[in-house]
Amino acid sequence: MTPVIVTCGLSKWYGNVLGLSDVSLEIEPGITGLLGPNGAGKSTLLKLITGQLRPSLGTVRILNQNVRNNPSLFHRIGFCPEHDSFYEEMTGWIFLTSLLSLQGFSAQEVRARAEEALGIVELWADKDRLIRAYSRGMRQRLKVAQAIAHDPEVIILDEPLSGLDPLGKRKLIRLIKTYREEGKTVLVSSHVLPEIEALTKTIILIHQGKVFAQGDIHSIRDLIETHPHMVSIRCAEPRGLAVQLLEKECVLKVHFGPDGRSLLVETNNRDQFFTTLLARIVQSRMEVDEITSPDDNLQAVFDYLVGK
Amino acid sequence: MTASPPAGIRSFPSSVGRVFSVFFQQGRRARRTRFFWLFSFLPVAVSLVIKFNQIFSERPGREGVYLFSNLIMLFYLQMIILITALFFGTSVCLEEIEGKTLPYLLTRPVAKAAVVVGKYAAYTVIMIGMVSVGLVLSFLFLNLNHLSDPSLYGLLGRYLGVLILGLIAYGAFFTFLGSAFKRAIFIGLLFSFGWENVIQYFPGSSQRLAIAHYLKSFLPTAAPGGRFSFLTFRLEPTAPRLALLVLFGLTAVFLTLACVLFSKKEYVLED
Repeated sequence: MTPVIVTCGLSKWYGNVLGLSDVSLEIEPGITGLLGPNGAGKSTLLKLITGQLRPSLGTVRILNQNVRNNPSLFHRIGFCPEHDSFYEEMTGWIFLTSLLSLQGFSAQEVRARAEEALGIVELWADKDRLIRAYSRGMRQRLKVAQAIAHDPEVIILDEPLSGLDPLGKRKLIRLIKTYREEGKTVLVSSHVLPEIEALTKTIILIHQGKVFAQGDIHSIRDLIETHPHMVSIRCAEPRGLAVQLLEKECVLKVHFGPDGRSLLVETNNRDQFFTTLLARIVQSRMEVDEITSPDDNLQAVFDYLVGK
Repeated sequence: MTASPPAGIRSFPSSVGRVFSVFFQQGRRARRTRFFWLFSFLPVAVSLVIKFNQIFSERPGREGVYLFSNLIMLFYLQMIILITALFFGTSVCLEEIEGKTLPYLLTRPVAKAAVVVGKYAAYTVIMIGMVSVGLVLSFLFLNLNHLSDPSLYGLLGRYLGVLILGLIAYGAFFTFLGSAFKRAIFIGLLFSFGWENVIQYFPGSSQRLAIAHYLKSFLPTAAPGGRFSFLTFRLEPTAPRLALLVLFGLTAVFLTLACVLFSKKEYVLED
């Protein structure tokens, strides 16, 4: 697939403070999660990508066009900012129709698109209330509405799930996933791992202004060869299996579960371990209930990469 | 939803028009505008007090035109247009930065310069509306007994023109200040009540360094010894055509500077 967002050697300094360092990315259609703790440089990267900031070094191209000083490109880009800021004296309806009219649509189309977007984020009933009377969740949904109302090809969402209740989060996650199915490119930032995990497997890990890893969560996991990997196995004879596995060099430690039917194996070579494990299971005709990787999630990778 | 590229997106005047439309609507409803409506009606209240005093004291008092020229124009030229233009002009850029609403505008298919020009135009029209209504009402109240005199309306037009020119020029200057400085209001207050109120009374050519000098060059010549001399004290007027040219030139320069700064400068929205 052709990358939609391409950054090359992107760096940003705020005076002497480094905001972003030498970030080169290629983001393809689908959902990409930008993950990192607060202050990692996520918002700086998104602002550079949307041309709100000028890079100190490097370039950004979206849809094969330069972003800076190219306002016409924003017909194809939707951006949801991180700040909880609005024109507080406007109603939700006026806010959305005002921004849509800046997109250059006719009055009729502005109304139609605003109605549709407010319906999608379930704010139609509250459209005539002043924004300052909106709850945090409603304000968050309104921000998302203005990012999607003009039907952009590229949607960039800076912490869109913050401030939403669990139901609201679930609905928004479902909505964002529909854009992937439509072939759009969605870049979502968050510092909350489960949020990103719920959205996508394609992630960019960012910390202290640097990209630590990029790609599929499993590919990233494979990059960390020396990092011990945990595998949990539930079977009828965990002790017997443990004896067989401990003979192998790739197995570092074995812990038994409190239920007496599971063991947690720590390995330094995941591929070799799984080959051995499967061979043992087949040879001994062992009944296995479940094999899982409890640390095969973003938290483990992230903690490891940032040195926690 | 289906995407249909809107026509004329690249057109600068069309972008300015869209920004104007949005911020004219928003500006009319803003709390700030309501406050400034009241503020610009101060001279109307003063006019009413003067008129009621004349009626109930049964003393003829000064002529309406005299009072209008001396008192009301003093209010408008020395205070109301300066403060109104200061708050509306600086807010063109500053309210987006301080309110952190800038990303909504910067991620639209609208040039940054169009944002500045469109907002400036919208706020200038609102200011002109507010000040004009107050000025006309003050004029009518003070000249209640001479409303059939057509020459009065020519005078009213002249005063109104001066105030409109003042709002346009000061508005552009304060828009520039708002795009350049975080503390634009403080600097603007120093300029308004320091520089403008001092330099215009300097003799010779130094008074030409104040915008007020060019505005006052349009005012009718003072009657010798009249109290109107307060406004035209030491005034060595510039020819009206040149004054008009200077005021429009300053407006163009300050607006251009504001557009360039707003387009080039990076505004970091602080948490």
